[in-house]
Amino acid sequence: MNNPKLSIVDLTKRYAPGLDPAVDCLSMSVEEGHLVALLGPSGCGKTTTLRMVAGLMDPTSGSIMVDGKDITQTPVHKRGMGMVFQSYALFPHMDVAQNVAFGLQMRKVGSKEQNRRVVEALDLVKLGHLAGRQVKELSGGQQQRIAIARALVVEPTLLLLDEPLSNLDAKLRENMRTEIRSIQQRTGATTLFVTHDQDEALDMADRIAVMNGGIIEQYGAPAEVYERPQTHFVADFIGQANFFASAVVADDGAAADGERSYVVDVDGFGRFGAVGAAGLAGSTHEIVVRPHRLKTSLQQPAGPFIEGVIERVSYTGDSLSLGLRAGGKELLSQMPTASSGIPRLGQTAYLSWDPADAFIIPGTAGIPHGTERPATADALAAQDVA
Amino acid sequence: MKSYTRRGFAALALTAASALALSACGGGAEAGKEAGSPTSGEVNLIAYSGIWEEQYTKAVIEPFKAKYPDIKINFVSKRSSAEMLSALQGQKGSPGTDVAIMDNSVSTTGNRQGLFEKLDTSAVPNMANVPEKFRNKDGYGPVAMLDAVGLVYDTATFPTAPDSWKVLWDPANKGKVNIVAPPSLLGISLTAITAKMEGEDYTQSIEKATAKLKELAPSVQSFAPNPDEYQSVITGQTVIGLGQNARAQYYSDQSKKKIGVAVPKEGSVYQINTINLVKGAPHSAAAKTFINYALSAEAQSAFAKALFYAPSVTNAELPAEVKARVVATDNPDITALDIDFLSKARDKWTQEWKRQIITK
Amino acid sequence: MSIITAAGNSAPGPGLAPGVLEKAKSRRDRRTFLALLAPAILGLVASFVLPLAYMVRMSFNEGGPDGVVEEGFTLRHYIEPLGDSYFWKVTLDTFQMGLVVGVLCVLVSYPVAMFLARSTSKFKGLLTALAIAPLLTSAVVRTYGWMVILGDTGLVNSSLKSMGFITDPLKLTNNMTGVTIGLVEIFMPYAILAMISGFGRLSPQLEEAAGSLGASKFKVFTRVTLPLTLPGVLTAFLMVFVLSVSTFITPRLLGGGAVQVLATEIYDQTTGLLNWPFAAALSVILLVLFGIIISVYQRLTKKIGA
Repeated sequence: MNNPKLSIVDLTKRYAPGLDPAVDCLSMSVEEGHLVALLGPSGCGKTTTLRMVAGLMDPTSGSIMVDGKDITQTPVHKRGMGMVFQSYALFPHMDVAQNVAFGLQMRKVGSKEQNRRVVEALDLVKLGHLAGRQVKELSGGQQQRIAIARALVVEPTLLLLDEPLSNLDAKLRENMRTEIRSIQQRTGATTLFVTHDQDEALDMADRIAVMNGGIIEQYGAPAEVYERPQTHFVADFIGQANFFASAVVADDGAAADGERSYVVDVDGFGRFGAVGAAGLAGSTHEIVVRPHRLKTSLQQPAGPFIEGVIERVSYTGDSLSLGLRAGGKELLSQMPTASSGIPRLGQTAYLSWDPADAFIIPGTAGIPHGTERPATADALAAQDVA
Repeated sequence: MKSYTRRGFAALALTAASALALSACGGGAEAGKEAGSPTSGEVNLIAYSGIWEEQYTKAVIEPFKAKYPDIKINFVSKRSSAEMLSALQGQKGSPGTDVAIMDNSVSTTGNRQGLFEKLDTSAVPNMANVPEKFRNKDGYGPVAMLDAVGLVYDTATFPTAPDSWKVLWDPANKGKVNIVAPPSLLGISLTAITAKMEGEDYTQSIEKATAKLKELAPSVQSFAPNPDEYQSVITGQTVIGLGQNARAQYYSDQSKKKIGVAVPKEGSVYQINTINLVKGAPHSAAAKTFINYALSAEAQSAFAKALFYAPSVTNAELPAEVKARVVATDNPDITALDIDFLSKARDKWTQEWKRQIITK
Repeated sequence: MSIITAAGNSAPGPGLAPGVLEKAKSRRDRRTFLALLAPAILGLVASFVLPLAYMVRMSFNEGGPDGVVEEGFTLRHYIEPLGDSYFWKVTLDTFQMGLVVGVLCVLVSYPVAMFLARSTSKFKGLLTALAIAPLLTSAVVRTYGWMVILGDTGLVNSSLKSMGFITDPLKLTNNMTGVTIGLVEIFMPYAILAMISGFGRLSPQLEEAAGSLGASKFKVFTRVTLPLTLPGVLTAFLMVFVLSVSTFITPRLLGGGAVQVLATEIYDQTTGLLNWPFAAALSVILLVLFGIIISVYQRLTKKIGA
């Protein structure tokens, strides 16, 4: 990233002196043409960050640069960004074409050029036929697309989307995800996207910034964030996870991608294999194993295993989600369905994993052996849904 | 929806029709019959509000109550005689009022409209003390008290009382003049006085008077002083203006002589109040008792002492200092306006003021 | 209409022709509807329709200047004023006053209403209550207050004098200036209330969206804020206009007899000259003019609100 499109340096927002900062010394860069998701629970500072980038809110300190130019002091209407609001914020007193043309009018674009670009923008969102409609006659999905067209028609330096899908119903949301992603890729607009929905972020983004408490916990590609969470929060917030407090007993040689294999002593369950960064031997860490990476069988396997009692079974057609209790700990696993032999409640099941599927979370160093971190509310909620 | 509208229209038409019917009827009252007892019951009196009500209650009604403890007086007060008349017109057919004390010009209209009963000495013995000139020639309610229009002035600005109406036109008083425009009697009187000063017969024309008053208009602070023409001087908003002698005398005492009143040398116009028995009055017997008391020497002098109205009876004795402050009832310079003419001219003169005199 | 449609949409029971059930239902709905409305209708008839009908009837009676009302039917009280330049001048003055007061009142109330509508302060309720608190005192009292403030020796003139700006007092009472100032203040709470309730379509996000699309603060106001608040502004204007045109107390007290508007004219005719038929006719004319203005207003808001 030699010439980032957007870079944010030490950005801080404090709503009132003495209050905890909503955004705390945040820094990140966005590459040209990328779609970056700011992902996190409500109150994590993601919308505040977006609004500061948009110029709708003044930062307490820090700076924002676009194309290497500091725009921290530039007023909103001179930033040239396109913003799509959660409520779409279409002007109710204008028709669709007037809404889309608004930004062009503000830029004093000639009327011929205006018309051409409005048609183009509406075609881009496949709503060319609605140009003369009143805003209130449009469905939620249509309003959403008009809002995107209105933001894109001005060829913004950055496209900013604030929870753009949260007001749509589930089915439409799926469609719009692909739609937005494809529009973004076609136009090449560098996009900052705020969401609290991890699936949305994983599906659409080139990079995800996982935010919590005003800071970025991890910033990386979706697979990186999912497979190699750097903190307990990231592992927990994105996807489902089983955590095990472990002592890293010994280095077991090189693994793929420059990582090392380790032998770990999982608290209360014995020795297992796991991977992690170099130089972890002798430390204590949490390891994370995703439920679908837990091998679950009703027969005792060869090698190390965890024995658990099935407490919950949920059948989703192509897979089975299980809730198990093992040594006072609640674990989640998934197994493919077979035409026969669905596990029953109360049955004993045996859990094991490939060493490559267990990851030693770097940000959890030094967690005392023998304690258990409480599962977060998000993780519990996710279990119930599954 | 359509049927609602039609039904609504029908309802409206029906109400309109019933309103028509309501306003079309209005029965004639039984005349001359005595109602109730002369020494008990109640009397509904309609008269002026404010200090007039206050002082009349103190000077006349309370002593009357002491004398006739079984008669209760209900005082209904109005701001002007016209308002009293409109109240009485509204009751025509089934009056709730027994006695009205109001301006002569208005009561004459009431007499003409058949709102009032004739009175004589057999019903009201004290009428014998009312001189002929203060009795109604058709036998209706006699004069109960008199006053005159005067100049009210700020005693600090005018250490000696102004003696001419011309002071109103004095440029020194520009912006500090009060006029109470017609239909008020004060404005009507000023019109007549100005006509006289201009050598014009107001019953023929007020052309010259209008021209003269037009010259006055730019100097006028208010054509409808608030709260009233006396307070306006007392509070210093104005220094000179129209007012009634009686009330001004009273306020002069109240304001430690801040306000004074004078009847200029060019003469003035009487303000005359009559006392009237309402036709078909529900308590006519007690009402006559009250009217008789109101015309007694005792009540007449008590009210003169309280609010400086001149008594209309010959036998009322007044102390010298009071006598000096009430208008003389035999001053040749003070005239009574021609009531019959006025009832026709009031509207015309009011319009003349609005259209010609009061212009911005 | 919506009640009937809703009934029509419900599935008819087996064996019944759908039309029959619909009719029965809508008939019953209509009856309940009327029964529920009856007290309000009765109240309205007694307090509004009947007096109005009486007034209209009165305007056709023959009337004399000394208060005599004769039953009859004459158009005299309509024809006379309509052919009288003085009446037209008074009418014009009245409407001009309404217009000026309406515009000024909206101008000074708009920022207040905007502030209250946008405020997220916990004191918002208190501030709104304060803004409309003047309604708790009567217009008469407030008018007297203005007489004290604006009079020749009042607060404004005496402070200007002591600061040496003027030597002679400014004429701020007993003329149209005083009436206008008084009315603007007296009707501000109404204008503020009307505007707050008419600002429903405005949301901060719309203004932010306009800003993000390149609109300067001024452009945001002219292109988004103002058009979206226009219905509220129009309602407030109309309300203040109608109230000003029909008000009597303030023109009477602050006008000092020099401000002649329809309301004071009607008052004079009613209580001073006792010419009730003429006063009634003037009232009817005023009512008709109101009707015209309100229908124009409705057409205008329909255009804007579409």
